[in-house]
Amino acid sequence: MEVVSLNQISPDQVIIWSWWFITINVTMLYTWLVMAILVVGSWLVTRNLSTEMNASRWQHFLEVIISIIRNEIREMTKRGADSYIPLVGTLFLFICVSNVLVIVPGFVAPTSSITTTAALATCVFIAVPFYGISRIGFGHYLKEYFQPTFIFFPFHVMGELSRTLALTVRLFGNIMSHEKVIGILLAVTPFLFPVVMQVLGLLIGVIQAYIFAILSMVYIASALSAEDDYPKEVKEEGSTA
Amino acid sequence: MHINWFVFLAQIFNFLLLMYLLKRLLYGRIIKAMDDREANIAARFAEAEELKVKANEEAELYEKRNQLLNETKDRMLNEATMAADAKRKELMEKVRVEVDQVKIRWQDMLSREQDAFFYDLRQRAAKELYATARKALRDLADADLEERIVDEFLRRVKALDEEKSVQMRKAISGGGNRVTIQSAFGIPALRRTQIEETLKKQITNGFTINYLQQPEIVSGIEMRVNGHKIAWSLNEYLETLVENLTETLQKEAHAA
Repeated sequence: MEVVSLNQISPDQVIIWSWWFITINVTMLYTWLVMAILVVGSWLVTRNLSTEMNASRWQHFLEVIISIIRNEIREMTKRGADSYIPLVGTLFLFICVSNVLVIVPGFVAPTSSITTTAALATCVFIAVPFYGISRIGFGHYLKEYFQPTFIFFPFHVMGELSRTLALTVRLFGNIMSHEKVIGILLAVTPFLFPVVMQVLGLLIGVIQAYIFAILSMVYIASALSAEDDYPKEVKEEGSTA
Repeated sequence: MHINWFVFLAQIFNFLLLMYLLKRLLYGRIIKAMDDREANIAARFAEAEELKVKANEEAELYEKRNQLLNETKDRMLNEATMAADAKRKELMEKVRVEVDQVKIRWQDMLSREQDAFFYDLRQRAAKELYATARKALRDLADADLEERIVDEFLRRVKALDEEKSVQMRKAISGGGNRVTIQSAFGIPALRRTQIEETLKKQITNGFTINYLQQPEIVSGIEMRVNGHKIAWSLNEYLETLVENLTETLQKEAHAA
């Protein structure tokens, strides 16, 4: 059995076209494919939406998914769920579709590329302070980093960075390793067992999409939790003054 | 393993682009459709609730109207029944009165017819009896029936007791001393003389006799003086005969 290096197990290494620093690899190609599927599918379903009871099956399907995402967000944020749906919903749909399409022969999930997972985690890393600042203001958001004392500031920053890294590696590790496990199993025990593992892989892919989206929402919700404390602090300051 | 930073930035851009496109094409439209549907359903529920309230009000109204109609119907029915009963009683009473009047008229008519019939019967019977008796007397005794009648009249005058004679005398004097003798037949002069003598001898003198011939007095003779009368006539017998005959006819009529 030949031992492959880490450079050879990522779709980032399969370069389709390159000029100067511009590189088009398989990861980007399959990303566009997933994007095209999502965008065209959404356009096809939503071009004739019905507000009556006689909606199409695909509309019902999408409404169920959106309702689930909406309810999950609402449970965590309690209010303003619709403003987080584009980020959280797109994370879930993109990762889920990418992971599920693995069953198509020749398709390599973009989420098995650490570049993609790092990009997604970076988006969440940026989104958390974006939503936090837009809700409670820059000063109060920054103030959270110095709670309970200023000594905790570096720990807060490290926490932010580490959970972004955790998001990146968790998704990348799960998807990449599963593909490699399937490949190894095909070499060791062909036929039945790899099929079972493939089905398990679909489940893992959906679960990973759910975990990534939920964790993103948890991070955003934790940033928003200061919103509830802010009026309380103002009240206390007012009473002491 | 290393990260291609161009690909990294490109993936961030791709994700943001996908997020924007899905927000435009998916989330906004789907959420709007769901919200519209919810609003639609809520509006329908509200409308249904409103219609239900209206329906309940209408039902209540119609229930009241129905109750009122039933009460009115019952009242009108009672009034109509009472009016019909009153009218029926009135008509029955009217009919009864009319029937009674008809019955009375019919009974009167029947009575008149009966009277006329018996009167006629009596007349006929008397005439027949008179003719038969006269013929029989003539055949048997060779005497005229009129003579026998006069004889019987004279016998009755002679048979008057004292009290009766006094009454007759007073009656004659109270009636202007005029005596009327009516008969169904003409009385010969001889017999008139006998009558006059008998009366003078039996009752009193000083009166004048006026003879009248009345066919209605069937086979008889009678003397009338101021409310008193001495007479003999077949009518007495005929009346007995008629009474018996009437009684028999009525019994037969009742039996029928």
